[in-house]
Amino acid sequence: MNTNNNVYTVIYTTVIVVIVAALLAFVSQSLKSKQDANEKAETISQMLKAAQYGTKAELDRLGNAAKLDKYAEEIERAFVIDLEGKELRELAVDRNEIQVYGPKELKRQNYNIKGGAGKTGEPELPVFVFKNGRTVVPIYGAGLWGPIWGYMSFEKDLKTIGGAYFDHESETAGLGAKIKDDPSFQAEFVGETANFSETNVFDIVKGGAPKEADGKSVVDNQVDAITGATMTSQGLDAAIDTWLAAYAKYFLSNQKACGKGCCGGKEEPKTEED
Amino acid sequence: MDAKLKETILNPIFKGNPITVLVLGICSSLAVTVTLKGALVMALSVIVVTGISSLILSLLRNTIPGRVRIIVQLVVVAMMVILVDQILKSFEATYAIDKQLSVYIGLIITNCIVMGRIEAFALGNKPWPSFLDGVANGAGYGLILLIVAFFRELLGSGTLFGFDILNRFGYVPNNLVILPPFALILLGCIVWVQRSIQKDLQEK
Repeated sequence: MNTNNNVYTVIYTTVIVVIVAALLAFVSQSLKSKQDANEKAETISQMLKAAQYGTKAELDRLGNAAKLDKYAEEIERAFVIDLEGKELRELAVDRNEIQVYGPKELKRQNYNIKGGAGKTGEPELPVFVFKNGRTVVPIYGAGLWGPIWGYMSFEKDLKTIGGAYFDHESETAGLGAKIKDDPSFQAEFVGETANFSETNVFDIVKGGAPKEADGKSVVDNQVDAITGATMTSQGLDAAIDTWLAAYAKYFLSNQKACGKGCCGGKEEPKTEED
Repeated sequence: MDAKLKETILNPIFKGNPITVLVLGICSSLAVTVTLKGALVMALSVIVVTGISSLILSLLRNTIPGRVRIIVQLVVVAMMVILVDQILKSFEATYAIDKQLSVYIGLIITNCIVMGRIEAFALGNKPWPSFLDGVANGAGYGLILLIVAFFRELLGSGTLFGFDILNRFGYVPNNLVILPPFALILLGCIVWVQRSIQKDLQEK
């Protein structure tokens, strides 16, 4: 058989590619539910980490079922708001129908926040209030090679950052990947505050944020960028600014409504002083 | 088992090891050897990919048009890699490791060992020897990966497969070992040891 003539070559490659594509599509469809379950458990553990329910390593040891249990146990309420801070609907928190916003859903909302091509509707921003008083919100944006996203928690005053966890799809290992792998980078965010009344809500500073003697940055809404990962750091900075600015109205109105020492609509005795 | 088949299996493990002798697949061996668990999953993935791709392409070898053979090889290898990645993502036990290995599973497609063995062996041999050649080369790669990962996890984290070994004796983990350059140093040492045993590899 002459395997070198043009017709044969074209037909051969077409058949091979069609077979491979069909096989991969079939496998991908049949494994999808399992992968989604894994992804959901991962998202939950990232939020629990941001809300300071343990280190990521501790939470990863739990396994999928235990992560869902812990979330169902620790979540106070979860809901979706619009850009004006108005509550649109509740998110399910029952053990078996937990609704969370993983990277795929965040990508859609990121388009909605930014507008332009790819916008599918008005932004729907999830808010997760945990029983330890911390409020977790997601962030999403572009790193150097692919999407980056994460979850940040705020203390009851809705200003002070209580914790953070960032993840990425394909940032450079050892450099940009440190937003996920370096616990000390994530720890830097704890205790800083977000400046919701300005467009520049939070800064990741190249060359190092000015530090006080105790290691906290002088300016309250700054942390150090990662050495050798300028683009990833800038991407994360932009992602945080974009998303927290979208939440700004919700945060600002609830800061005012509550005063110090209480959170998200929960009644607590108001005190004038700390 | 005849001698030739035995040679096909044993040669890639030591005498013709893809990493230390052919110096193929170096990049991933530096990147995924921080923990034994990651190295083991990577090794098994490469074994599956090299074995089955070699088998499929050896079955197809007489039908593949010569001019597009590299493309056909790539399609088959990419298919295997995506299958492995999808399967790793589907199980609770391997999901976290797949996340940790991140891009390196996908990069098996470009691992020179896979394409190298297909070009050099599978396209000219019967399916069964080709399958064994693929598996053996994957195993040779995996063996080096595990040796490097053993030292890096033991000295870099004080653990083996996540179990505490050295830390309980007050060992302070050495961060240098965690970084990729140390993998290169270890790899150099392995090549050194192998060449001093196997004199015929030494250049005159």
